[in-house]
Amino acid sequence: MAEVKFENITATYGKKTVLKDFSLTVNSNEILCLVGPSGCGKTTLVRCLLGLMKPDSGSITVGDTVLFDAKKRINVPAEKRNIGIVFQDYAVWPHMTVLENVSYPLKKRRVPKEEIRERAMRALELVHMETYANHLPMQLSGGQQQRVAIARALVVDSEILVMDEPITNLDAKLREEMLLEIRMIQSRLKSTVLYITHDQQSALQLCDKMAIMELDGSLCQYGNDEDIILRPANRFTFEFIGVSNMIPVVLKNKKIHLDCGIDAALDVEVPADVDFSVKTDMGVRMNDVVFDAKSPVKAKVVSKVFLGSEYNYFIKLGDKEIRVQQSMLDAKLSGVPDDGAEVGIRFVNPRFYPAKKEVSGEAV
Amino acid sequence: MKLFNKTDNLAALDGRKRFSLDKALTITTFILLIIIVVIPVFMIIFNTFFEKATTGRWNFDLSLFKTQLSEEKNLSAMWNTVKIAVFTTIFGTIAGVFYAWLLGRSDIPAKGLMKALFNIPYMFPPFLGAMAWDMLLNGRGGYFNKFLMTTFGLETAPFNINSIWGIVFVEVSYYFPFVFMQVVAALEKMDPTLEECARIAGAKQSTVIWRITLPLTKPAISAGALLILTTSLAHFGVPSIIGYSQGIYTLPTRIYAVIYNAGGSFEGIREGAALSVLLVAVVSAALILQNKILSSGSYDIIKGKSTRPTLIKLRGAKYPLLIFCILTLVIIVVVPLVMIVLVSFLKAYGLPLKLENFSFIQYQRVFKGNATIQSIKNSLFASITAGVVCMLLGTLVAYVVQKIKPKNRGALEFMSMLPYAIPGTVLSIGVILAWQGSILGINLYNTIWIIIVAYLARYLSFSMKTSSAALLQVSSSLEEAARACGASHTESLADITLPLIRPAMVSGFFLIFLPAMREVTTSILLYGPKTRTLGVQIYGLRDAGMIPQAAALATVAIGIIIILNTVVNYIVKDRKGV
Repeated sequence: MAEVKFENITATYGKKTVLKDFSLTVNSNEILCLVGPSGCGKTTLVRCLLGLMKPDSGSITVGDTVLFDAKKRINVPAEKRNIGIVFQDYAVWPHMTVLENVSYPLKKRRVPKEEIRERAMRALELVHMETYANHLPMQLSGGQQQRVAIARALVVDSEILVMDEPITNLDAKLREEMLLEIRMIQSRLKSTVLYITHDQQSALQLCDKMAIMELDGSLCQYGNDEDIILRPANRFTFEFIGVSNMIPVVLKNKKIHLDCGIDAALDVEVPADVDFSVKTDMGVRMNDVVFDAKSPVKAKVVSKVFLGSEYNYFIKLGDKEIRVQQSMLDAKLSGVPDDGAEVGIRFVNPRFYPAKKEVSGEAV
Repeated sequence: MKLFNKTDNLAALDGRKRFSLDKALTITTFILLIIIVVIPVFMIIFNTFFEKATTGRWNFDLSLFKTQLSEEKNLSAMWNTVKIAVFTTIFGTIAGVFYAWLLGRSDIPAKGLMKALFNIPYMFPPFLGAMAWDMLLNGRGGYFNKFLMTTFGLETAPFNINSIWGIVFVEVSYYFPFVFMQVVAALEKMDPTLEECARIAGAKQSTVIWRITLPLTKPAISAGALLILTTSLAHFGVPSIIGYSQGIYTLPTRIYAVIYNAGGSFEGIREGAALSVLLVAVVSAALILQNKILSSGSYDIIKGKSTRPTLIKLRGAKYPLLIFCILTLVIIVVVPLVMIVLVSFLKAYGLPLKLENFSFIQYQRVFKGNATIQSIKNSLFASITAGVVCMLLGTLVAYVVQKIKPKNRGALEFMSMLPYAIPGTVLSIGVILAWQGSILGINLYNTIWIIIVAYLARYLSFSMKTSSAALLQVSSSLEEAARACGASHTESLADITLPLIRPAMVSGFFLIFLPAMREVTTSILLYGPKTRTLGVQIYGLRDAGMIPQAAALATVAIGIIIILNTVVNYIVKDRKGV
């Protein structure tokens, strides 16, 4: 129905610049998960979109409507922006019943009384809370309050729905359910959703598109989930999404050698676009480390954890401890090494990034 | 003046609108605080150190302050003030912690009832208590003294309340609840696992109390002790009633005497102002010292949710301790109360307490003429007005400080808390100096408004504190959610924030209304012929030697306080559901 466009947003708190020249587009009818570490400016972006904070420059448009434009001096007040929002702490008003909470946005839009009730009940049905209409929020569990907050955001049929870490406070099972429900509600209403989280797992589960923000407030990658996982744009994205091992390497005789207490040549292709003259780390996902008895690279199993569908190993490689994940299928095929056993390992699909400065300083 | 963090200001976002609600609220708050708080304080300091020369110019002049400081009487008054305050604080804190622990954490019988009863001394006006004890234990002809002398054939009176220790005793009786109430609340909220862990780790019960419970309640104890200290330093009623006859002066009573003797002349008021500066210095020194001693480290382990702490078994000491508690209450509440009521029925003071000497004549005398009715009306009017205005203003200040957060909110907070450290007597003088025509020709002297202005300054911090605490509980996302739902800034305030803090506002009102109803400290310096308050009227009757009449009016006052308190409890209970 409508896409959300942030263009060159700069936002500051006092002297601290949180967002600098930030641009991002949320496609119409899609769920965009904005992922980034705590404190990277995700919430600031939401506050700018909602009109709770004024950016210093840039513009924000929804569809054809300009909500904010620093140059044209346009700034639509928060109450006129028509954006549904679910806050992290729900922000369900404790002195109103569930029905009153959900009716409030309609009341503020001067909707006729009979219609208010009908629409509020419909929104509550959508989140399966219609039987709690007359309860006070404190009589509800966290998950139920969450749904009330979602119903309140949905009730006015906003084209845009913003969710700022809406499920962080729920337990794992409820989290799963809520994610499914959000997905279903979105596909039914065809609304555009901006979903903010620092938890990449739920982001992967939910999103159509994903955007990764770095700690300094810059956007470091935008794409669908496969892009992000398989083709991380930089070291930050690679490390932020999923568990990763970073192993120091050097280039010797046109071969990549390990540089972590042991020196072994690796059987991997030397990428042309990596500058090995600076200190370099090789990044491998834990499921991209494979046991292979024939491999010249030897390591020692420190401990292992059985997780139901896979094994997780801590493995000592030189002076470095790395994590390895072995699926049940591989375990069947190649066997499960004992603690303390020496294993040969091979690296699949490695990536190379310049080493972090502080790490290189410590290196022996 | 740049008041705001540019980006953190909701109202500035209202498009190109010039008017901003937040800015208006902030500026209003600043102006009101300057008028109510800063000007009186400034006037005291200014008048102490500057003198108007014949040329009409104000010259810096330390001589007034020096003469006041070198006068023997003033120095002894200062010494007395400090002595009384220190001992009252020490004994009051010990008593408060002891009873709080006993009623909060032991298995003493009838705990709920006892806890409620132990709040009574807090509501009991201390100067009425002082009156009652003076009747009982006056060195010359106190009723209890006389009784002991005749019973045991003693030559001299065994007790003499008219001493420093007498003052300390009476003040401790009515001020220990400051500590008691704070500590009981802290004990109730304390996470019991903290103590259980210590027991499991092998500590004895006594060690747990000493090493875990007490340190954890230290913030509460220290807050209560501070309240006792500052209240006692600034208190007028008790030392005035008990100490006056023996020439025992404290700084507040000395200030009153100086101004009273000068007949309200400007010179007298200036002398009073100089003494006030001295008193403020003493209070500030006490605050700093207290800060150093007690606030080393605070704890946040006391949780908001109430849990059921394990009770400590008193075993054989259970009933003796219960009797001890009851006895305490009898001595500090029942005995003075009965004494006042009995004396109020006496035909003349000094007559034996026998049925044939009783009559209603004192009540008739008190209510003859309209002075008494007028004083009750004055007190009601001043207290209600001050209560309502403080409630609104306190909430306004709290909102600006907690939610709008302008850049100089520290200054705001400081201004609103300033009167907290400034004794009522001193504020009164500042208010006199400010509002007797020296500013814009506004003269409120001898009107009820000057009393109300003084009440505002004195009690504002009370309501600000309750509203602040309530506002801190209201997450800003609640208001923001309302904005996103289509409510304007004003609407979100009216629909969300105000309803949520309304209970706190109401209790803030009563926190001001009740003490204002019975206070003398402030109004004794500000009343005019037609603006006597209830407290002043009682004090005046007693001062004029009409003790039974004073007792009769005191009985009426206590009746009013009891009725109001019942109403308060009823209303507050009713609103708990909100």
